[in-house]
Amino acid sequence: MTDADVAALLPLPVVIPIAGAVAAPLLARVHRRLPLVVSILSMLGATGVLVAIAARVYSGSGHVVAHYFGNWGPINGKALGIGFAADPFGMAFALVSAALGALLLLSALSQFGDLGKHELGGFACLFQLLLAAIIGSALTADLMNLFVWFEVAALASYGLTGFFLERPIALEAAFKLIVLTSIASFAIFTSVALLYAVTGALNFGQLHDALPSHVGAATLLALGLLVTGFGTKAGLTPFHGWLPDAHTAPPGAVSALFSALMVDVGVVVLARLALQIFAPGAAPPLLDLMTALGVASALVGATLALAQDDLKRLLAWDTVSQMGILVVGVATVTPAGEAGATYHLVNHALFKALMFLCAGAVVHSTGETELSKMGGLARRRPLLTGGFTIGVLAIAGIPPLNGYASLGLIHAGIEDSRQPVVFSLVLIAQAVTVAALVRAAYLGFYRRRAREYEHCEPLHAGMTTTLVALGLGCVAFGVFPSTVIAKVCAPAAAILLHPGVYAAGVLSGTSTIPATSVSFSYGAPKDLVIAAATTVVGIGIAWWYVRVTEPAFIRGLRTLHTGSVNDYSAFLALGMVVCVAALLL
Amino acid sequence: MIVANYLTAGALFCAGLHTVLSRRNLIKIVMGLSLMEASTYLLLVSLAYRRASTAPVLLKPPHGQSPSQLAHGNVADPVLQNFCLTAIVIGVAVTAVFLTVAVRVAQHYRSLDADRMRTLRG
Repeated sequence: MTDADVAALLPLPVVIPIAGAVAAPLLARVHRRLPLVVSILSMLGATGVLVAIAARVYSGSGHVVAHYFGNWGPINGKALGIGFAADPFGMAFALVSAALGALLLLSALSQFGDLGKHELGGFACLFQLLLAAIIGSALTADLMNLFVWFEVAALASYGLTGFFLERPIALEAAFKLIVLTSIASFAIFTSVALLYAVTGALNFGQLHDALPSHVGAATLLALGLLVTGFGTKAGLTPFHGWLPDAHTAPPGAVSALFSALMVDVGVVVLARLALQIFAPGAAPPLLDLMTALGVASALVGATLALAQDDLKRLLAWDTVSQMGILVVGVATVTPAGEAGATYHLVNHALFKALMFLCAGAVVHSTGETELSKMGGLARRRPLLTGGFTIGVLAIAGIPPLNGYASLGLIHAGIEDSRQPVVFSLVLIAQAVTVAALVRAAYLGFYRRRAREYEHCEPLHAGMTTTLVALGLGCVAFGVFPSTVIAKVCAPAAAILLHPGVYAAGVLSGTSTIPATSVSFSYGAPKDLVIAAATTVVGIGIAWWYVRVTEPAFIRGLRTLHTGSVNDYSAFLALGMVVCVAALLL
Repeated sequence: MIVANYLTAGALFCAGLHTVLSRRNLIKIVMGLSLMEASTYLLLVSLAYRRASTAPVLLKPPHGQSPSQLAHGNVADPVLQNFCLTAIVIGVAVTAVFLTVAVRVAQHYRSLDADRMRTLRG
């Protein structure tokens, strides 16, 4: 196949799930099992097409292929039409989204198999719409189109959060999510219009070429608003008010989809924005701003995760922390940092989906959501305990699980960019993260429990299959890191660090990425020492924390999160002002 | 480029934001968000304006002007006006979802006070 043939396939990974989303509620009228079958088939179809495109994108040292809808291609470097471009970075995320989406659908629809026809159809429809929007935002090369995918994802996520409307907390979570996401969408929309008005360009390649000569107050204001908008999607501090609530209320599979894939959209877009659209020289404070937001998220998320009693809420706070680490990795602008961020994006999707599905399965099986009421699951539910433990070990970066290599790369990237303070803060966040998860594993799973559970529902086959598949995925991505790094992460790092190549690829339809090597020696003493030290310190903190009453600074942080939508919007507005001011001043 | 419109749009945005930050009634929060949204429409239409320009319709040019003259820059920017339409459509959808949630909240809690929906916190 030539590049043009491959590029012509690019709309399909989005079109297939949307078609599936339309078909699911209609076919539900025929038979209640059909939405399950159709949605899984459509996601597998999307995965298949993406694999075909990926074969070209990752061949050699990596390629960018672009396709314009209706063949409205660029003329003299000016694009009128909407383009999709597959580069190694976005492609990695799109592939994970499609494949993981199929698994999550399997788990969700087998868990809810006893719902009515209409509910099953609607659920499958919203789930696929969200996945289509995630894949679309990973592949698009047009700012306005990106905004449309953001809105599609937002609308689908409102529906999924509030899907079980009979639960009052679902209503509450949906309301907070809508308010904060709406403000974020106004910010993004305004900035898209501003950038277009200043540069006359919406295409990423064209914007990259036009921006250096147009940097001024208006572009920096637009950039600040974009960081706010996509920071809200990524759940970065101080924009994170919606995230823990929206992950607590819905069932496990939906939380897994939000945490593993939807919030990552924010990080993917921030990476594109900072490195591919605004080349690092165009707006120097941007990278420092991203590092600051990332470090704040990592610390706040990890600390509040330590203090949670609700298992899913704990995992949600940990998502805030992991997004922070990812953004710090992206903002290092070093090959190791970018490769590590790409790798960690994939790994985070795998282990966080695994842990949220375990938490959802615990709720399904015992009806308990709070750690203080759980315990003893190691004996009663060995599969769930095994899955959760794999997740904890992966996040802690214990070899041979997948977190080890990606965290090692991110740490190397931070070191290469000479930021000792950031490095030490990231290590502290890592230790606290380990503490929070070890505490959860101890209280929920390994602690003895004398009383039997009142309910002990068996798991459905689909849920078990998904858990096993994700657990194996965590191990597989940890055992073969050199292949993943050389084939996927190094080209992804290269395209993030060579924005000119990306721009040329988007505008001319194809380009070849210069070879970049990312060195990573598995089992380097330094990485092993860091992993061991953070784990030991983390276990120590967990041991200490389950014995003391809540320390004052954690209680203070918790009281800041009042649960009031007004306060969360105020944090968002404050963050917006800070972002814009940091860039303009 | 109409500076007065930009300032008005900014003021509207701030007024909407103030409503969202300070009101507890859900309907008022929705109204605040609608106000913020309306400010983006004004901003967009104003950004599209060019001095002495006509509407971006090339079929029947005004007297004394040919379509090619219009196409060479004497029309308002159609792309931004298009954005504005997109924003209106999305805004309607979001407001509809929003009001649905507000109705369900009213049914459950028998109140529209956002302060009573604070089970999830900390």
